[in-house]
Amino acid sequence: MDLFLQLLANGLVIGTFYALSALGLTLVFGLMRIVNFAHGELYVIGGLLGWSLTDQLGLNFFLALAIVVFALAVIGYLIDRFMMSRVRGQGEEPTILLTIGLSIFITNTALLIVGTAPLKVVSPFANKPLFLGPVVLTQSRLMLVVICIAIILGAHLLIQKTSIGRAMRATFQDAMAAQLAGIRTAHIYGFTFALGAALAGAAGMLLGSIYVAQATIGGLVSLKAFVVVILGGMGSFAGAIAGGLILGVAEALWGGYVATGYVDAIGFALVIVMLLLRPYGLFGKHNERA
Amino acid sequence: MSDTSPILELRNVDAAYGKVKSLHGISIRVAPGEVVALIGANGAGKSTTLRAISGLLAPTAGDIQFEGRSIAGRRPDLIVRGGIAHCPEERHVWPDLTVQENLHLGAYLCRDKGEVAKREEMVLQRFPRLRERAKQAAGTLSGGEQQMLAIGRALMSAPKLLLLDEPSLGLSPVITMEVLSVIRDLRDQGITIVLVEQNVHNALSVASRAYVLSTGRVVAEDSGAALLNNAEVLRAYLSG
Ligand SMILES: Nc1ncnc2c1ncn2[C@@H]1O[C@H](COP(=O)(O)OP(=O)(O)OP(=O)(O)O)[C@@H](O)[C@H]1O
Ligand SMILES: [Mg+2]
Repeated sequence: MDLFLQLLANGLVIGTFYALSALGLTLVFGLMRIVNFAHGELYVIGGLLGWSLTDQLGLNFFLALAIVVFALAVIGYLIDRFMMSRVRGQGEEPTILLTIGLSIFITNTALLIVGTAPLKVVSPFANKPLFLGPVVLTQSRLMLVVICIAIILGAHLLIQKTSIGRAMRATFQDAMAAQLAGIRTAHIYGFTFALGAALAGAAGMLLGSIYVAQATIGGLVSLKAFVVVILGGMGSFAGAIAGGLILGVAEALWGGYVATGYVDAIGFALVIVMLLLRPYGLFGKHNERA
Repeated sequence: MSDTSPILELRNVDAAYGKVKSLHGISIRVAPGEVVALIGANGAGKSTTLRAISGLLAPTAGDIQFEGRSIAGRRPDLIVRGGIAHCPEERHVWPDLTVQENLHLGAYLCRDKGEVAKREEMVLQRFPRLRERAKQAAGTLSGGEQQMLAIGRALMSAPKLLLLDEPSLGLSPVITMEVLSVIRDLRDQGITIVLVEQNVHNALSVASRAYVLSTGRVVAEDSGAALLNNAEVLRAYLSG
């Protein structure tokens, strides 16, 4: 029983990380109908930037996080303004090709600058173990979970409760009506992509402090994010959270009870089962919007 | 039309979708406080004319003046800010947003919360059914209610000029009468209205003048009564 609780706790912690890592992907898809294959690479930029700010420049962790979020938002906005906007309204294929090209470009640029070495974001949180009944967690992981939850909650409130969030939802439901209400839709597209990129970058930096930041992991991050998003339902905010937790717990239990070798394959097995039983995912509807 | 200077004037406006030209030298004058109808068969260019005014489609030639200043080709948000609201064909409410969110977005450019609440209250008094359904997704409303919402949303920007594109489309006669009486109320309140209507009798029951459009051109212009008497013109251009 104690082992189960420990594995469950580990799974929920990692699941929260997965949820944040996938949130930007599902948001950009749910609102903009863009499948962003460069999502993992934006995460990589966040991690590498976080490393250079905390390790190379010695900045405070939270200040660095704020800079990363802002920088990725700017990058995301520019990507939308100068690339995605050119293929807007031309169906899904051009955006898929464009984001795949972008992912290759980012990975190779990152390789050129920092090489293949795994780099660690410097975190202010100790690796001291905390004992919660039978469960042991490190302080750093617990703190990260808290930060992830805060960011997820913040994104939710931004979209549901603020005027700009309402303008985002309106633009993606009916862009013409949004224009007629005085909403500058070009900005809204850019802003939404910026939000997705900022979330990816935040995840990359946060997780780079307990795992590593590395130029080449973008592909794997995207893959896991797709697993999470397909499990939860493409475009669903709640789905990304549920999908992340399910994946985290399933991997932890499998790793603890069965074999550590095939942990990365669990997600794909879950996806196949989900696609057979409920092709739109747990929270997805045929026309789901975030 | 009276001698007062027009609030809206289109001078020889051309507009095109890509390479296909849809408007050929449209000229229209609307005096302050007037209700003017645009009538014409399907594809005549009525909606395109409204789109050119509200900035959805930049004219390729000619000029559009609002309150004496050119607005041709300006961004839609600036045109809304200037006091023109366009209530488009087929309503275009945001189906997954609530009635209240739809209304609030109508006042998107107004940063004064108290003012927004005041306008909302006025709209809800005009359309009490929207109040009952404030928290309901707009997509679940009936066609008539959606039309009320679309008009209410347009009014939330406190326009001086309201462009209404076929507000009675697909509505029952009873609801159509309701919409027409709302238009009369708005006119009496001093809002200038350009009304696109397929149903000539409905249009002329609220409008003092009408322009008849055919294949992107103005082919007739007269007072409502004169047009109704001129059955020949109507038959020629409205049968489609
Ligand atoms: N989005 C568009 N792309 C290309 N052509 C268009 C588009 N919208 C309208 N047109 C063309 O422009 C012309 C005028 O159309 P418009 O919609 O203004 O007519 P209308 O008078 O409003 O007709 P209806 O009574 O059917 O609404 C038509 O020939 C139409 O085919
Ligand atoms: Mg039309």
